[in-house]
Amino acid sequence: MRKNQSITGNFDWILFIVYIILIGMGLATVYSVAYDPEYPSIFAFSKVYGRQVMWIAVSLFLGLLVFLIDSDIYRKFSVPIYVFTITLLVIVLFMPEKNGARAWLGIGSFGIQPAEFAKIGTAILLARFLSSLNLKQQNIRTVLIANSIILVPMVLILLQPDAGTFVVFTAFLFVMYREGVTYDPLVLRLVNIIPGIKFKQTWVGSHFIPILFVIVFLSVVTLLVSNQTITFESFPDVELPGYYGVLFFIFIIVLVGYLIMRWLFSKRERKRALIIAIMAFVMSAGIIKVVSFTFDKLADHQKERIELVLKLKEDPDGDDYNRNRAMAAVGSGGLFGKGYRKASVSSVRTNHVPESETDFIFCPFAEEWGFAGSLILVFLYMFMMIRIIMIAERQRSSFNRIYAYSVAMILFYHFAINIGMNIEFAPVIGIPLPFFSYGGSSMMSFSIMMFILLKLDSQRKDVLN
Amino acid sequence: MQFDSRKYVIITFFILIGIIYVFKLFYMQVVDDSWKLRAQQLAEKRIEITPPRAVVFDRNGKKIVSNKTYYNLMMVEDNIVDLDTVAFAKLIGWSVQEVRDRFVEIVEGEGVYTSPHTGKTTPNYQSIRAYPFIKELTADEMSKIAPHLDKYPGFYEDVTSMRNYPYASGANILGYLAEVTREEVDRDEFYRPGQVIGRAGIEAFYEKQFRGKKGVHYIVSSAMNNTVGAFEDGKYDTVAIQAPALYMGLDVDLQAYGEKLLQNKRGCIVAIEPATGEILALVSSPSYDPNLLVGNRNIRENYPKLLQNPDKPLFPRPLASEYMPGSTFKLLQSLIGLQEGVIHENTGFPCNKSVVGCHNHPSAQSVTQAVQMSCNPYYYAVTRRIIHQNKSKDIYEDAEIGLGIWAKYMHSFGLGQRLETDITGLRPGVIPDPAYYDKWYGHHQWKFSTIRSISIGQGEVQLTPLQLANVAAIMANRGWYYTPHFVSSIGEDGPLPQYRKKHYTMVDRKNFDPVIEGMRRVVWEPGGTARRARIDGITVCGKTGTVENYIGQVKQKNHSVFIAFAPMNDPKIAIAVFIENAGGGGGTWAAPTASLMIEKYINGEVKSTAKEERIMNAVLKGGPK
Repeated sequence: MRKNQSITGNFDWILFIVYIILIGMGLATVYSVAYDPEYPSIFAFSKVYGRQVMWIAVSLFLGLLVFLIDSDIYRKFSVPIYVFTITLLVIVLFMPEKNGARAWLGIGSFGIQPAEFAKIGTAILLARFLSSLNLKQQNIRTVLIANSIILVPMVLILLQPDAGTFVVFTAFLFVMYREGVTYDPLVLRLVNIIPGIKFKQTWVGSHFIPILFVIVFLSVVTLLVSNQTITFESFPDVELPGYYGVLFFIFIIVLVGYLIMRWLFSKRERKRALIIAIMAFVMSAGIIKVVSFTFDKLADHQKERIELVLKLKEDPDGDDYNRNRAMAAVGSGGLFGKGYRKASVSSVRTNHVPESETDFIFCPFAEEWGFAGSLILVFLYMFMMIRIIMIAERQRSSFNRIYAYSVAMILFYHFAINIGMNIEFAPVIGIPLPFFSYGGSSMMSFSIMMFILLKLDSQRKDVLN
Repeated sequence: MQFDSRKYVIITFFILIGIIYVFKLFYMQVVDDSWKLRAQQLAEKRIEITPPRAVVFDRNGKKIVSNKTYYNLMMVEDNIVDLDTVAFAKLIGWSVQEVRDRFVEIVEGEGVYTSPHTGKTTPNYQSIRAYPFIKELTADEMSKIAPHLDKYPGFYEDVTSMRNYPYASGANILGYLAEVTREEVDRDEFYRPGQVIGRAGIEAFYEKQFRGKKGVHYIVSSAMNNTVGAFEDGKYDTVAIQAPALYMGLDVDLQAYGEKLLQNKRGCIVAIEPATGEILALVSSPSYDPNLLVGNRNIRENYPKLLQNPDKPLFPRPLASEYMPGSTFKLLQSLIGLQEGVIHENTGFPCNKSVVGCHNHPSAQSVTQAVQMSCNPYYYAVTRRIIHQNKSKDIYEDAEIGLGIWAKYMHSFGLGQRLETDITGLRPGVIPDPAYYDKWYGHHQWKFSTIRSISIGQGEVQLTPLQLANVAAIMANRGWYYTPHFVSSIGEDGPLPQYRKKHYTMVDRKNFDPVIEGMRRVVWEPGGTARRARIDGITVCGKTGTVENYIGQVKQKNHSVFIAFAPMNDPKIAIAVFIENAGGGGGTWAAPTASLMIEKYINGEVKSTAKEERIMNAVLKGGPK
């Protein structure tokens, strides 16, 4: 069955090159932000850039190992792999606390974070389960098992606690959505209780996950701008609440989306595009209005709780310290930035932005390279994620496809939340920027994840189903 | 596969988020400036460095204004850790309450900012910023505190520069510095609260030439408020540049000598180098040591005392006191009469005491004799001829025309208008013109007999001693002057352009000779009124004045006035001396004082020790006659 091929026969060089570019940019940024004139060498092991070089080397070595191993073992050993990563998650809970969480396994600064590797285990098992030959997507049992596979590591991670990685695991819901495993069976069971109703399918149930995502995203953004007001210089009397800005933004997006749809669609479908556009806007507006209205009506202590979670309070030197500093760093970058190694706000030396070499690595990058750099970075991540979707869609094996979707979605979550923290679009929850942030666990886990994908893809033609 | 189309939902998500993020990043990084300001507030600090003010040299290269280093004890509230107030108060020699009060004073002293939009007020005080806790400590005082400051984080010493006047003379010329007002800060972006600005004298007039160019350093500052390094390797930094030195025409020794001569007297001496218009000395008595007004602590302590002193030491008399010139004015009447042709060199008038009082002397047979003997009736006659030249049949209109001509002459001598001297606080004096008397008496309601007291420099005529000295300089130059000025060169650039322009009076050179001969005789001939002004080997030409004055209806002792220049044919110095309520005549006190100044300036030393002693020891405090 197996053809005699070279290891790199169907290797996706494009994805690999983007991966290398991002790692290179990341290392350059870590070097810049943590630069110490006493240790000018990038290999200075006592500095984070020296260690990052080591982590990259280790990651590439692990990648090579992945390539030497037959890709079949992931499918075959999906359960042991999953169980292994879950076991690590359990063990880590008995480790000593560090920075308020039990997330580290190992000695001193050379520990690993099992939560990072749990993503791989979960992705593999979910792929294995959803690619089962006799799977019925619209079955309650299927939905419950798939959800359990995700929930077990989520619960363990929440116990650490690590809110960021916990949120990232909801990325798998999109993978399930793509595979048709939605919450529709649950919704149907609830709806069909009502006598006289016998739906076979509900739109809300089928698209529950993207709808939920839109609602959450809009709610978070609305709440984040809830304490802002929009004023106009030419109309000093007019003062609009902040969410009007979000509404305006959505209007523009919907309008642009509609025009693109008009351009793509046939004449008959254009009418549908218009209805979709209007509905999208009305629904978004409704969500925003409901969220802001509800928030206003909440009791003070409830408000405070939400404000605490989203770090909403306008307290630039207190609760909101990190985001305020991060936004100052990013925003002061200007069009072309302050120049390499010239970040003044987010440099480790000034220490205005905490964790600027790890979770807030986007700050020094955006400060030093400005909007031009930010644009390139966003473009590279978008390109990488869409490339992975394209790779996913060309797989013959649904295991491969599901796994690839998991990788794309996890990257998307990390990208959206990590960058979003810097621009007021996501609450500050510490998760690394893939390939960019300093850190062994994230570098190794993302690299292994990427190399497994590349390996699966390179052997895609070996598999029949 | 029925779910294939769902890949588009996911790709759409990706692209939407990408677009939204790019938009937001574009807004934050390119459109909106507020985060750039925030970054500057946090990390990219602008530090201004004010250079020390320019120093000043006198005409002999003596440094008369220099800078001295002082220390401020600075405080950054956020850096203060567990302050032991008792020990700290002991260290700086204050009481604990004083230390607490000082904190409050600093915070409140910064005031509040009221937002023009919202009306909300926020204090200007910021706990991360440095404020001077104690200002202007001397090196000696600081040396006692500095070694212990390591025990008090948040406090540190900071060097500042303040004025120093090594000669303690010329306070009314040099002026003083004081802290800028809020309005000055708002008006001129050079100034920051707490900085100083020239408040009087040449310090005020040459403020822009004194202050130099500020340097700006952009530094990267850490979250702990420490300096990490230069921002962008100092790309935008500029160096503070001290302004070039100012060179004054002043002779500081002569100035000090003049101040000594006038001790225990109220009065002025103004000496000018006629050829250049440079002021050699400008004594205002009583004066004060300019070092008394250096720095806030001194000003707070000494300014009120000086202000309350009844002799008004802060008042620059030579510039701002307007006196009747008395008989010195007769020089000008002579010149105008000659120039207008209403008299000539040998015109004589009888000394008719029925017109106006005079002392006993033979009638003057010429202008020269009239000057020499200072004959009052003679000048009534001369001035009548100037005022009434029969240019109109109506006597009132004739007076109006005549006085108009007369006033124009006077203006060409720099009188009746503010001289453009490089100092603040100048007064114009009074030269009455037709409009002036119209206001008093009504149009065509006055003629010479109404206004005759101006003939002999009494009545409405008023001059400042500086103007009087300038008249002496005009006499020395025989008809022209440079506007009197203090600064002869700003760095290497010479004086300001207005001091390079010769001003010609309306009187021709030839008409000066008989008058100057008269001035010589005033000093050197037996009938002269200023024989006390003689100096061996120097031909002094002068003219005395004795000014009658009243407080209310009570006649006070006469002011003693003398103007002079010397030597006669190569004038090096022109001088006016005005001693208030000295009693006697111009020849009694003012003339010998002037001669001592001339001797000191031309010979470098004074041999007339008896004269010197008499003047220096005299206490002339005025009182009723």
